[in-house]
Amino acid sequence: MIPFLRRLAALFRRRRLERDLDDELAFHLAMREQDYQRDGSSADEARRRARRQFGNVTSLKEQARDMWTFHPIETLSQDVRYALRTLRKSRGFTIVAVVALAIGIGSTTAIFSLMSSVRQQALPYPHADRLMQLWGNVMRAKVERRGASYPDFTDWRSQSTSFDGMAADQDANAILMSGDEPERIAVEYVSSSYFGLLGQEMQLGRPFTADEDAVPQKVAVTVLADGLWRRRFGSDPAIIGKELRFGARAYTVVGVARAGFKGMTDSADAWFPFMMSGSPDDLASRGSRGFVVLARLKPGVTIAQAQSELDTISRRLERAYPNTNAKRGVEVSPLDVEVFGALRPALAALMASVVFVLLIACANVSNLLLARSEARQREIAVRTALGAGWPRLVRQLVTEGCVLTSVGAIVGIAVAQGAVRLLLATSPVSFPSFVNPHVDVRIALFTIALSLVCGIVLGIAPAIHARVSRLAEALKDASRGSDGRRSQRLRGALVVAEVSLAVVLLVGAGLMIRSVQKLSALHPGFVTDSILTLRFSVPLGNTPNAQPAGAPTGPAVSARAVLEKIRTVPGVTAASLVSDVPLAGEGGATFYSAEGQPSTDAQTMPRAYVHRITLDFFSTMQIPITSGRSFVESEMTATSTAVVVSEHVASRFWPNETGVGKRIKLGSITSNAPWYVIVGVVGETKYRALPENPTADPDLYLPHLDRSRQMAVMIRTTVPPSSLVPAVRAAVRSVDASIPVFNVQPMSDLVAQQTAQSRFTMWLMGVFAAAALTLAVVGIYGVMSYLVSQRTREIGIRLALGASGREILRLAVGNGAKLIGAGVVIGVAASFALQRLVTSLLFGVTAADASSAAAVAILGVVALVACYIPALRATRVDPLHALRYE
Amino acid sequence: MGEMLPGTLDMLILKTLSRGAMHGYSIAQFIQQASDEVLRVEEGALYPALHRLEVRGLLKAEWGISDNNRRAKYYTLTPHGRRELDHEREYWARVAGAVTRVMAT
Repeated sequence: MIPFLRRLAALFRRRRLERDLDDELAFHLAMREQDYQRDGSSADEARRRARRQFGNVTSLKEQARDMWTFHPIETLSQDVRYALRTLRKSRGFTIVAVVALAIGIGSTTAIFSLMSSVRQQALPYPHADRLMQLWGNVMRAKVERRGASYPDFTDWRSQSTSFDGMAADQDANAILMSGDEPERIAVEYVSSSYFGLLGQEMQLGRPFTADEDAVPQKVAVTVLADGLWRRRFGSDPAIIGKELRFGARAYTVVGVARAGFKGMTDSADAWFPFMMSGSPDDLASRGSRGFVVLARLKPGVTIAQAQSELDTISRRLERAYPNTNAKRGVEVSPLDVEVFGALRPALAALMASVVFVLLIACANVSNLLLARSEARQREIAVRTALGAGWPRLVRQLVTEGCVLTSVGAIVGIAVAQGAVRLLLATSPVSFPSFVNPHVDVRIALFTIALSLVCGIVLGIAPAIHARVSRLAEALKDASRGSDGRRSQRLRGALVVAEVSLAVVLLVGAGLMIRSVQKLSALHPGFVTDSILTLRFSVPLGNTPNAQPAGAPTGPAVSARAVLEKIRTVPGVTAASLVSDVPLAGEGGATFYSAEGQPSTDAQTMPRAYVHRITLDFFSTMQIPITSGRSFVESEMTATSTAVVVSEHVASRFWPNETGVGKRIKLGSITSNAPWYVIVGVVGETKYRALPENPTADPDLYLPHLDRSRQMAVMIRTTVPPSSLVPAVRAAVRSVDASIPVFNVQPMSDLVAQQTAQSRFTMWLMGVFAAAALTLAVVGIYGVMSYLVSQRTREIGIRLALGASGREILRLAVGNGAKLIGAGVVIGVAASFALQRLVTSLLFGVTAADASSAAAVAILGVVALVACYIPALRATRVDPLHALRYE
Repeated sequence: MGEMLPGTLDMLILKTLSRGAMHGYSIAQFIQQASDEVLRVEEGALYPALHRLEVRGLLKAEWGISDNNRRAKYYTLTPHGRRELDHEREYWARVAGAVTRVMAT
């Protein structure tokens, strides 16, 4: 132990130790010299004798030094120093290698840190592995998620034993009436257990109590998010106990959540007790489903156990309430899958791509190292002659590789930091707000491991080469001109590998580009260009701020008046009110029935999405009317019985007729809802999502009711839609300054959000493919140049014997073309094999797409050019010069 | 000019230093003289041995000024070194006695 510590200490005062040793030996020599002089030798004679007597000072010093050192560490540091020295000497090589490795390692680290920020443990809640979402599902042709109804939720909660707790959670909007201007904020209605399940403590006050969530309250309570509290209330610590108005209701603030917590929706500004989410009738209706349940498994309970328990409960409920619960089940889904699930396949595919880029970078650097080891053959031979064994040489070469990759990794981590930040900032995909990829211990370990592995991989090729080259031959100058067959094969293999990896990436990028192209070319059934959308909500009563907390009766102003005002804005050609904006994720499904329909059950009961519109919605959105007509002004009343349906409704029930004049009603056929008469049939649209609606349910259009208070406007413009935003806002304000206007965005933005993930993957894949292509081309160029220069003499002889430049060109290019061809074949085969990794990311394309051929063609051409340039140089060889070469 | 018996150098150094602090050169001289020029300590063996003993904590080294006014590294025994010397002495006595007995037959 003691000797170990002494040695350890010695490590840190190496220089001093070295000097002491020198001094000590010098003293010894001096003493001996003095003795000899005393015995009668001359000064010179004495010095010589003393030295002779002393023997090899260096080896003695080495032995003495060895006493103080840890042998492996010391040789390692020697190797590292040596590597650094050689790398410093060949600066050009080092820069190229480090840049290539930094690109490879940096981008791998960047994607890895993104992946690691969407793993289960990255959820900012304790026991994240036990947090689940429960979905009430309909077992239709395609299982369809609907969420829970309050009675279902209370039954699940009271009858199950698998869970620590359950909380209902419904997102909604509310208008905060405090201050000068009403502001629309995102809120969540949650059970009192919600904050506890997510492990959230309050920074001020307390969460809800069970009592506050037991029945609807006259004056309810609210918890504010940190952001709203700071922004609107200046972080007022006395906010607790204050009363705030949200819409028509008063709420007492009981708590302020911790900074960073924005609820499960990741956007909530405030929370209300779930009991405030609807009327007692709504809450008691087992059939009105729409919210998600958060639950935490008891420790040790598996998802499968919880699922089977809930299956049993569902069957029990089905027997007890056949009307509402027939064919209904519950799905237990881990929270991390719900939150991150959509991001993971894309990131996995990107990770694979980036590893390919790294491999190409390694192949490149390996090639460079190989060329250098060729040049260093004599050095290596000398070292071997001086007794360095093959293992020692391999260690030296691997150390060199690791030094290179470490430098690459350091630069790479810096690159990754910046790249990730840039990526998150510009990503069309929105990552959850708590995602904050940064270099932590995990990432650092990953990068270190990665660079060591790469370093070893890099050392292998030159090491194999070193083993092959024969000592005696290497020492003779004559052998320098020719390259060993085996090392040529090694180079060839590296070129083939680079080409095939680049092909896979290019094909992948091509497919993503095609997918995005197809997605953008997709016609959703309505126009998406030159449409501006916005939402507004009409305040209650005449003057909203002066309104006493009594019973407000109706909207202060008519939404139609707002619409008319918007129509007068220059540049607006058409405008229409609608209850929910296409592709904005609003609105919900309703059951309906058609007169004379065959009997149905829960699985076949017709469902549709209802939109309330004004007359010119179809003309504004350019949705084709296939038969009948749109509404007329006289039908714009609450008692109107006119309905417009989309084609699927007509073709389902009246396949041989247009459907115009037929009758449908909302709810079941036996309900006492009024019959509506179909006045028009319009084209199907992708109203809810691109590239396809989640379910095939059709759309029903009903006249817009002027008494509704929240609505959207679709505005068709002759100028770029975003340029009209100020004018439109001003128009709304001129009707009533207290009308909150929000979600103002061009329809094209909504379309872009639908294709965000594909575009995100496309961009990154494209960048990686470009990097791969560049690296591969540089690699091919390097190898081909080297091979040509190796054959300069042979080419000179051929030229001298009368070969034409064309023949030489064919010879040199042919060589490379063979390698490129092999790489392309392997790459294409690999692309087809790897295709299923990305199928979930693709839309309407397979690897057999024309873009794959284009990718191969691009690579082939670029690679051949990379061969052609060195080959062209070969034809310019002067035979005389070439023969004298070397 | 005799060869050093393997393994005995450490013991001889420890013994020599039991008389007080000495530098490397004087240690070598002392052993040589005390053995009537029979044992001769090679520099190539002496210094690695000194450093080895120092690392093991049997010797302590200090820089001092020699008789002829030069900076020299002086070695002294540590208590641990003294104990080690006792062990070595005992072991040597046993082995040497045994060898002598065998040779006397």
